[in-house]
Amino acid sequence: MTSFRLIAAAGQLPQDFFQNRAHKTCIQEQGTVCPGWALDHIGEWVTPTLQHIVLVAVPVACGFVVAFGMALLAHRRRWLVAPFLGVSDVLFTIPSFALFYILLPLTGLGRTTAIIALTAYTLVILFRNTYSGLSNVPEEVKDAGRGMGLTERQLLWRVELPLAVPEIIGGLRIATVSTVALATLAVFINGGGLGVKVYPDISFLTGVLTTGIILLALAFVLDVALVIAQRLATPWLRVAQSR
Amino acid sequence: MIDPHLPLSFLGLFGHAINFILHGQEAETGGIHVGGPEKMAELALTQLKVTGLAMGLGLAIAFPAGVLLGHYGRGELLAVGIGNVGRALPELVIIAIAATTIGVGLLSVTLALTILAVPPILTNTFVAMRQVDRGVVDAARGMGMTPLEQIARVELPLGVPTIMGGIRTATINVVATATIAPLAGVLTLGDLIISRGANGDAGLVAAGICVALLALILEGLLAVLQRLLTSPGMKLARATA
Amino acid sequence: MAIVSAPKDGERESAAEAAAVRYEHVTKRYPGQDRPAIQDLNLEVPAGDICVLVGPSGCGKTTAMRMVNRTVEITEGDILVGGTSVREREPAQLRREIGYVIQEVGLFPHRTVAANIATVPELLGWPRERREARVHELLDLVRLDQDFAGRYPAQLSGGQQQRVGVARALAADPRVMLMDEPFGAIDPITRDQLQNEFLRLQGEIRKTVLFVTHDIDEAIKMGDRVAVLKEGGRLAQYATPAELLMAPADDFVEDFVGADRALKRLALMRVRDIDLWEAPLAFVGQATGEVRAKLEGAEVPHALLVDSRRRPLGWLSERDLAGDLVPEHPDSSPEPVLDLDDVMRDALAELLRSGAQYAPVADGSGVVAGVLSIEIIAEFLKSPKALTEEHPAAERPRD
Repeated sequence: MTSFRLIAAAGQLPQDFFQNRAHKTCIQEQGTVCPGWALDHIGEWVTPTLQHIVLVAVPVACGFVVAFGMALLAHRRRWLVAPFLGVSDVLFTIPSFALFYILLPLTGLGRTTAIIALTAYTLVILFRNTYSGLSNVPEEVKDAGRGMGLTERQLLWRVELPLAVPEIIGGLRIATVSTVALATLAVFINGGGLGVKVYPDISFLTGVLTTGIILLALAFVLDVALVIAQRLATPWLRVAQSR
Repeated sequence: MIDPHLPLSFLGLFGHAINFILHGQEAETGGIHVGGPEKMAELALTQLKVTGLAMGLGLAIAFPAGVLLGHYGRGELLAVGIGNVGRALPELVIIAIAATTIGVGLLSVTLALTILAVPPILTNTFVAMRQVDRGVVDAARGMGMTPLEQIARVELPLGVPTIMGGIRTATINVVATATIAPLAGVLTLGDLIISRGANGDAGLVAAGICVALLALILEGLLAVLQRLLTSPGMKLARATA
Repeated sequence: MAIVSAPKDGERESAAEAAAVRYEHVTKRYPGQDRPAIQDLNLEVPAGDICVLVGPSGCGKTTAMRMVNRTVEITEGDILVGGTSVREREPAQLRREIGYVIQEVGLFPHRTVAANIATVPELLGWPRERREARVHELLDLVRLDQDFAGRYPAQLSGGQQQRVGVARALAADPRVMLMDEPFGAIDPITRDQLQNEFLRLQGEIRKTVLFVTHDIDEAIKMGDRVAVLKEGGRLAQYATPAELLMAPADDFVEDFVGADRALKRLALMRVRDIDLWEAPLAFVGQATGEVRAKLEGAEVPHALLVDSRRRPLGWLSERDLAGDLVPEHPDSSPEPVLDLDDVMRDALAELLRSGAQYAPVADGSGVVAGVLSIEIIAEFLKSPKALTEEHPAAERPRD
């Protein structure tokens, strides 16, 4: 029954599929890996990779803006913490893959739905980290700030947020890296991204592996970029570490 | 393929999805009957089965490894690094590679999902063992507990929340990813998604709803388990901390 | 272990006599460090004594202590507990016979107070009833209400936690107790209370105790003997607290003991150890003339009215002596009345607090034995006697 489906999937492939995959040093068969072919055809990955970056960047950015606002609100009005955390717990439990299809009646097939579902996912991680970053600022530091005459607003921007940066960026790193992996599933809702280089063509190992490598590289590059951003944003931590 | 009344009323599609779960419908391609409670239960049970297999195998590998590394404080780079890499692993690629190299079937799905289950369990178990208060471990050792007694009587009970956190993360990820198991020949709820042609958009939404319910139920059960395993003394300690 | 297999009620509790601890040329080197943490340490702690290991941070005092239960391994030399080398013992078994109290307390937050106390008995396989009885007994011993048995550590104050810590260490009636800054994290008032309670407890249980602290005052208060360690784990002096204060072995010890060591000696003395002034006594109904005659040339310029059994009633003022006979009710009370067995430091504190110049000192039956004044104490502190002469009764006070 399943092999039937795979054949059916293969039936949807373009006519020139198999000729297209012949390489001078490597005949395409299931289970063989041909790096040469991948290098020659790397251009095919450019558009999916760019789409993938959009599928990661937009949800992380949107999630960050909303989560940041929620965290500030919860930080100011403590009674909001419990409902926010409760909602984020439930949201976190619903797999974003399931959310794609639950949202389908609202937003239809396509990239928008994928972006909304992935945003919900990043939101949860980012809210938790931003909020805990703000509440982990030592009381004596805040007290000293107030004692020097900082207003609550000044305290937030000059003391609490800078000190929360490591945890906030920690959340951004987790959200970004996980979203790079998750966004691959957007292909199942016609959302594009690197998933299109895996499905429905899943038995083409050269293509699958190349996609996997690009995904890991993308996750790594974004993670390193965030680490660098954190180092730049928190010069005092570097001084403390080098001592 | 595109639902004609999609933009008009989303309630309608939700209604179709619920109808799809409760009663089923004739396939879009005509002829056979798709959906319905028996079919949905069968798909959901298969999804639970592969989830259970992968979690069992993942626990068997990652839990003892995390306990030993954590107790002796060795291999921090490995234990924490695996957790970080684990987050970056693309589920779809793993399933595709497993299906291609091992062949379609339960084995390749179980192994692929196990790869996803191991990192959070290993990392959280390691961290749980390491974060037990230094004074508490020192006291346990100084009172004459053997390493096994220290693990069983002190480190594990105190590590319950963190270890369970890892198990919960792993479970949710595994049960979600088990949705795409049909790609490797195991028919789970994702079958409604992969064979979209026959099941239609109602099938897609039905799959989404059922996967979400499965995840919520598993999460709820694990939360209850965690509560049972956590000593009231630790809840008090956290409340006063 | 025989202890595990045949626990006969009541028998082992009384059988576990304190064991002497002996360091024989003990050296500890940590890998990657040039200087040893402990160098050729020789120390004999008699059974039933409290030996305090004291010194500045980095002197290796905790390392020295932890080698006894092998939570730190010995590099060279040996430690004998009750004549047996710790190196020949299986560490876990050894530790079950040695009580262990640390600054962090280290109570298990997931277990109740009772379960915490019963930890070692449980490891030793005591039956439940015996464990429960022991918990009951120990809660009494450390003066915690029986209600505490079912509570969790998070519900206790710092002082209560450390009492449970001490009870837990005593649970299997160890022959030796190791205490690593046990009261270090506790506020000064509670610390003082816990110190006194532990000394009282020690009076009953008579364990051999190795007690680590960086606080010389605590060392002097708690120790039967004090081992002062200096950097690199070398023993600077090992002596009784009094000897330490009177005759510091070198500049290091003198510095460490502090410039106020004469004052510290007051903590080691009783009122009876000092030469008191003689009180000019007066009796009710005595002729005031006689009393005035007594006051001529007396050290104390006021007469002390006493009853027929020479117990103090009050100080007589000029007005009291204005009549012919000594009145029954003098103007001022005799308070504070000190006891010959009071610790000098406390006596001084009492005098300063009451604002009195003099205080009558009574013996055990309340009879006046003399008068103590701030002047006497000041003279004593100025005299070289304060640091040289050993008083026959100079012994650590037991509160």
